[in-house]
Amino acid sequence: MTPPAIPANRPRRLLPRSLADRLGWFGAIIVGFLILMAVFAPRLAPYDPSERVARPFLPPSSEHLLGTNDVGQDLLSELIFGARVSLTVGIVAAVVAMLIGTTVGVIAGYYPKRLGSVLMRFVDVVLILPFLPLLIVLAAYLGRSLTNTIIVIGVLIWAAPARIIRSQVLSLRSREYVLASRSMGAKDRWVILRHILPRTGLLATGSFVRAISGAILLEAALSFLGLGDPIQKSWGSILFWAQSRGAFLTPAWKWWVLPPGLAIMAASLGFALIAFAVEERINPKL
Amino acid sequence: MKRLDLSKLGQYVIVIIVAVTLNFALPRLMPGNPLALIAGVDVGLLTAEERAQIIEDVGLNEPILNQYADYWVSIATGDLGQSYRSGRPIKDIIAERLPWTLLLAGGALIISSFFGIILGAISAWRRGGKADVPLLTGMIALQSLPSFWLGMLLISVFAVNLGLLPSFGAISPAANYEGWEYFKDVLEHAILPIVTLSVLSTPGVYLTMRYSMLEVLGEDFIRTARAKGASERRVLFGHVTRNAIAPVVTFLAIRFAFSFGGAVIIETVFSYPGLGRLVFEAVSGRDFPVMQASFLVFTAAVLIANLIADLLYPILDPRTRAA
Amino acid sequence: MNKKRARAVILLLVLALIAAACSSGTTDTTSGDASPATTAAGGTTDPEPTETTAATTDEPVVVRAAVTGGEDTLNPYTYVSGFPGWNMLMLQYDSLMQFDVNGDPQPWLAESVETNDDLTVWTLTLAEGVMFSDGEQLTVDDVEFTFNYFTEKAAGRFARDLRGVESVTTDGDRTITITLDAPNPAFDLVALADIPIIPEHIWSEVTDPEEHQFDSVTNIGSGPYVLVDYVEDQSYRFEANPDYFRGAPAVDELVVVVFADDSGPLAAIRSNEIDVIFERISPEQIDLLDALDPIDISQGPEFTTQMINFDVTKAPFDDIAVRQAISKAVDRQDIVDTVFLGAATVGSPGWVHPEKAVYNPAVAAERDVAGANALLDEAGYTDSDGDGIREFSGGPMSFEMLTNSSDSLRLRIAELVAEMLAEIGIEVTVSSVETATWEEAVWPGFDIANGRNYQMAVWGWSAPVQANTIRVAELVDGNPDIGFLNLTGFSDPAVDAIAEALLTEADPAVSAQQIGELQVLIAEGVPFVLLAYPDGAYAYNSAVYDGWEFIAGQGIVSKLSLLDASARP
Repeated sequence: MTPPAIPANRPRRLLPRSLADRLGWFGAIIVGFLILMAVFAPRLAPYDPSERVARPFLPPSSEHLLGTNDVGQDLLSELIFGARVSLTVGIVAAVVAMLIGTTVGVIAGYYPKRLGSVLMRFVDVVLILPFLPLLIVLAAYLGRSLTNTIIVIGVLIWAAPARIIRSQVLSLRSREYVLASRSMGAKDRWVILRHILPRTGLLATGSFVRAISGAILLEAALSFLGLGDPIQKSWGSILFWAQSRGAFLTPAWKWWVLPPGLAIMAASLGFALIAFAVEERINPKL
Repeated sequence: MKRLDLSKLGQYVIVIIVAVTLNFALPRLMPGNPLALIAGVDVGLLTAEERAQIIEDVGLNEPILNQYADYWVSIATGDLGQSYRSGRPIKDIIAERLPWTLLLAGGALIISSFFGIILGAISAWRRGGKADVPLLTGMIALQSLPSFWLGMLLISVFAVNLGLLPSFGAISPAANYEGWEYFKDVLEHAILPIVTLSVLSTPGVYLTMRYSMLEVLGEDFIRTARAKGASERRVLFGHVTRNAIAPVVTFLAIRFAFSFGGAVIIETVFSYPGLGRLVFEAVSGRDFPVMQASFLVFTAAVLIANLIADLLYPILDPRTRAA
Repeated sequence: MNKKRARAVILLLVLALIAAACSSGTTDTTSGDASPATTAAGGTTDPEPTETTAATTDEPVVVRAAVTGGEDTLNPYTYVSGFPGWNMLMLQYDSLMQFDVNGDPQPWLAESVETNDDLTVWTLTLAEGVMFSDGEQLTVDDVEFTFNYFTEKAAGRFARDLRGVESVTTDGDRTITITLDAPNPAFDLVALADIPIIPEHIWSEVTDPEEHQFDSVTNIGSGPYVLVDYVEDQSYRFEANPDYFRGAPAVDELVVVVFADDSGPLAAIRSNEIDVIFERISPEQIDLLDALDPIDISQGPEFTTQMINFDVTKAPFDDIAVRQAISKAVDRQDIVDTVFLGAATVGSPGWVHPEKAVYNPAVAAERDVAGANALLDEAGYTDSDGDGIREFSGGPMSFEMLTNSSDSLRLRIAELVAEMLAEIGIEVTVSSVETATWEEAVWPGFDIANGRNYQMAVWGWSAPVQANTIRVAELVDGNPDIGFLNLTGFSDPAVDAIAEALLTEADPAVSAQQIGELQVLIAEGVPFVLLAYPDGAYAYNSAVYDGWEFIAGQGIVSKLSLLDASARP
């Protein structure tokens, strides 16, 4: 739960279009590569990552390019399959966050008086809630599973997008065409669906991709604190095991610690760069 | 000049009330039992009566509403009570931990604002230039690093393999250094955690500064200044930076306030005795009074920072002032 | 506008004041901690006895040890964990008897211990010339006071040790007689070697020991070390007590550093920032650390346990066939080899550790998947829908197994068990939860009267539960007053009868035979499935100090390790 990094009122153009695009494409290539890896994991991975295929703690060899983990599972296969879990958690958690965030943001922005201010106070409270106990409470009531990790992350990160979207809706609300259609007696629902949502939708795309980037990092942090689901083969849980079996301090860090950390970084970076480019694209239309 | 917005004040009050209530409720909603912590060793060996006695001693047998009222009284009187674990006054415990957390947070704040602001300004000034693109990409990449991973790798390299810096704690245990030696010791211990925190927080400052600068650069008065033939340097430092700094300060103030929650992961990795570790241990042991008190400190810090940011913004931003 | 600026200035001032107040607060505490230390040191009469100076070289031996998690102020009411908290506590205090290398209690503060035939009257003779670290003599009155104090002002462990004590009387300067209301063959083990003797002249003034804050002036014992400095969650500093009644300790100063997680000490011993780890190290670290010079490993069997618990009061675990099938289906050797890399002993289905003299080899576990499947088939648990999972009255045999996320080895055990049970058509989903949540599910409120909220769980007991074999009644007896650690809700009258008889059996031969029978009954009844007894392995820097003594079943953290070899029992 960090403060939003970007002020809501954004400057017109941050980079010349071509450069922003190039960064975006760079991000897209990274993400595309990782998604391919996730989709074709069963074909790419030399072994079943949950099967114990060799002796524990083996260094890299021609049979096991990244060696084996503490119970003799193939680390390369774990890394490849890890893309599935980490990306799924990242994307789905971001969807959850955006569903909540957009709903709250749009309603709070469209009805700024009573309802809106109540909702925004709620957002304020969520932003300053102590993170760790909230997590444990949620995990305890939901039980431990992949779905619940996703829900927990989604619930933790929706507040920041909600704020951004609200401020956008606030300004849209006073645009002429919105005022015009309202004065012509259009129903609120119609105005929201016809005028507000399509335009916030664009802005939400940026927030969404950014949320994926954050969710992937959060999943790794949860796993590290032992609050994720270490049974799931995500990149975060590979690091959890590396840490709890002392790999950081041994030569094993080169094949056990470095690859999943770099994978997390690559995924998070890829999505962040896309988010950057998308926001660039949208900006002039705002 | 507007008078202080009453409805805004009312909103703060509502947030405080809800947050305090949740601070009270969260610990009690967690599954698990503080008994093991209070009773200490071998809680399983206690008889039913002994267990009941302990629960009564700390007032956990009281109706929940009474406990809730007591919590408000404790906030009002400033007496935060005693830790279940050590029986020590929580005020003392927090006073012990806070400086360490502030040392890390403050150190990281200074370093990350130094690099963030300068690099952000360079990036924005030469937007799309040779420096901007790698800086921007690099900063986004730094932001994508898992914090614990970075911390552990730093320990592995600088403490274990090179033996240059200590790997844990805030001071050398039981060394009883004084004066300059003490200062050096504290500094040596703080370097790795501060570096980790700085690496993670510089990108936020950088991006904020860059955005804010670009916004200012697009404004009329800058164009006017440039058109008037003012030197680049003068425009950059005299006009742009001064005008772009307000959002960055707001960002830093709130970021600093969030550090009162402690850097849980970093403080765990480095076994650093700050607030984050206090909270983590209180949460694992269900030390209700410590949890409530540290949440309170955190809530208060964030709200105060917001208030300060609200107040400082107009002073720092010449444009709002002029308006 | 000026007003606004003034407001900001005031706010900043307030902030600065708060910051100043905070920092001055810490200075106070540090100096407060430091000054009594000097007083305590100055209080000792003879700082340099001639014997020690002659025996040791001029450099004082300073050992820096690591623990994970703080132990508070380390007095009998405030220390936190059974291990290593109690072990650190006992550096400052002495008990009447002391464990030797084999884990057997030997005379210590009491130079002789005699009992009557039915083990109800214990007569002790106190050693001469034992002093508390403040220079006061330790007398029989202190012993009597200690027993009464712990009984009145219950400190969980020590109060329970003393249950059944009818009276404590003193006779002359050196004789203490303890009368029990029933025979207790393990009284020496559970009470005499466990209870720290506290000074009457300090504690008689302490009315509320849980609240009382101790410091280096009041933390007074007769032990080989004096705690002179304590910084919460950071460190403890012990100084040797040069006047210790068994001779000055071999280590002059012991600094115990508190870490936040398990990997901290592993990094610190590599970087030479600490000299010994007072926690068991993870199996994969044994060879890695041993390969480094000058780090050595002290390793041996210990009495901690790793086991599967299930709720025996609910279907299908109420059926003995299901429990037996599970016990047959798990491959204990595989768990020892894969999870512990061989650094553990295969679990005995009869609970008792094979290192113990009373172990019954007849109950040794053999993996038998076919037999387990046959048992389940016979009992009518078949897979009628062909999904590979058997069904019972309540649906498919598909269960959640809880483990605590802070213990990664336990998590791996759970994963392996899930694989093994899949072979007999039982589906296990491993759920790793935060430790307090796991405890609350398996042992709600630490009182078995509250029932159980789990189906299956990986559980473990600390060493003392196994160390004293006759305590097995606590684990299996159907009467909750006796079987207060019976977390699975097991109940079998035949087991109860022997387990209860064992508690008061005075004749060692009869007792050994009863334990033998009991192991067979437990192996058949399967109140839990014991998987392994992990070894203790401790890493230390042999260049700094290498006198570490591994007490069988308990490890190296004890005063034995720090005393001169000649002073050990």
